[in-house]
Amino acid sequence: MKTHPMKLVTIVCEAYAQDAVTKLLHEVGAHGWTLFSVEGDGSQGKRPADIREFANIQIEAVVQPEVSERLLERLAKDFFPRYAMIAFESDVRVLRREKF
Amino acid sequence: MSIFEAISANLLSPAVLFFALGLIAALTKSDLKFPEPLYVALTIYLLVAIGFKGGVAIAEAGIAKVWLPALAAMVLGALIPLWTYPVLRFGGKFSAVDAAAIAAHYGSVSAVTFIAATNYLKAINQPYENYATAFLAVMESPAILVGVVLGKLGTRASAGPDFSSMKTAIHEALFGRSIFLLVGALLVGWLCGKPGMEKVESFFVTPFQGVLALFLLEMGMVAGRRLGDLKKVGPFLLAFGIVMPLIHGAIGVWLGKVAGLELGGATLMGVLAASASYIAAPAAIRMSLPDANPAFYLTSSLAVTFPFNIALGIPIYYEIALWFYH
Repeated sequence: MKTHPMKLVTIVCEAYAQDAVTKLLHEVGAHGWTLFSVEGDGSQGKRPADIREFANIQIEAVVQPEVSERLLERLAKDFFPRYAMIAFESDVRVLRREKF
Repeated sequence: MSIFEAISANLLSPAVLFFALGLIAALTKSDLKFPEPLYVALTIYLLVAIGFKGGVAIAEAGIAKVWLPALAAMVLGALIPLWTYPVLRFGGKFSAVDAAAIAAHYGSVSAVTFIAATNYLKAINQPYENYATAFLAVMESPAILVGVVLGKLGTRASAGPDFSSMKTAIHEALFGRSIFLLVGALLVGWLCGKPGMEKVESFFVTPFQGVLALFLLEMGMVAGRRLGDLKKVGPFLLAFGIVMPLIHGAIGVWLGKVAGLELGGATLMGVLAASASYIAAPAAIRMSLPDANPAFYLTSSLAVTFPFNIALGIPIYYEIALWFYH
């Protein structure tokens, strides 16, 4: 079966950043994303995701490599200084390239 | 009733004791934890119940009686950030955006503090205007909007993306779920009036105290988990979180009296002026002033002012009202 190389971008951030991040994803050309609630510990301290307002979320998007580059650049420039956030990309292979 | 009797009557109420229990659970790192959907459900229940009850009270009293004190409450909410901002900026040496964010929180209100106050008045058999919920509804948003404007004026427009738009703040301040539910339930109650109340009373009124106690248990844990952040806020903000509510409480009681409220209603107006938002305001501010540091505004309103008001503030504002009315 023919698979195609793509990038999986994973963003873990405070829930308040959700709207800004999903807007950015759309802007840089991502065709979709998946989101779930998470909790954990990081450089800004343990994040008690006890109530929805203070929750942490993980957003994942599978995108073309050039989109991933644009996305990470924008995140580093505009989001990292403002929000509690980490982001990274990894290599994945997908079926149906046109979906991404 | 002396101030000590007033305070001890408050401290021994189920709501406050459960709040303390929640604090202890967090401090002792108990594994007690509310599932998140339960927290959401309790919030919805409390906001709908208090909104509905207030709406029915407006229908009973007539809008002619309500509009003037409601307008006064709204104006007070919008004005509070205007004097708290310079206090924070020049007294506390906070950056413009942090000062504006904190000011927005102290101008806005805490529904749970308000509910605890009505609970307290009921417990000591002090009658109050039930339509005071309308003041809660109109006081939540104005300060948030004023705070965001102050924050924008005080900082150079950053070259960043457009996530700091005024539109986000307005939308969050007017249609965020807490204000939406509260105003919506208020309107529903107003339209139904007394006959509507009879249909839902056994669900929205009778179990209310129990639900509030449960919710405050959870809030005690939420506040307790953030007590560690107190180190980050510094002595100025700690003092601010206690002194400012006392000043605002007195102003609120006075304004309530001037606007024609009775003793109970003026106490509630004082409580509203003294309370600081920790749900609606953080959401709106985090999205529209992302450069403001949440450790300052969230910790001071949630870990300082909220517990202070719940334990000591409410009976103190009542005593202030007694003093104004006698």
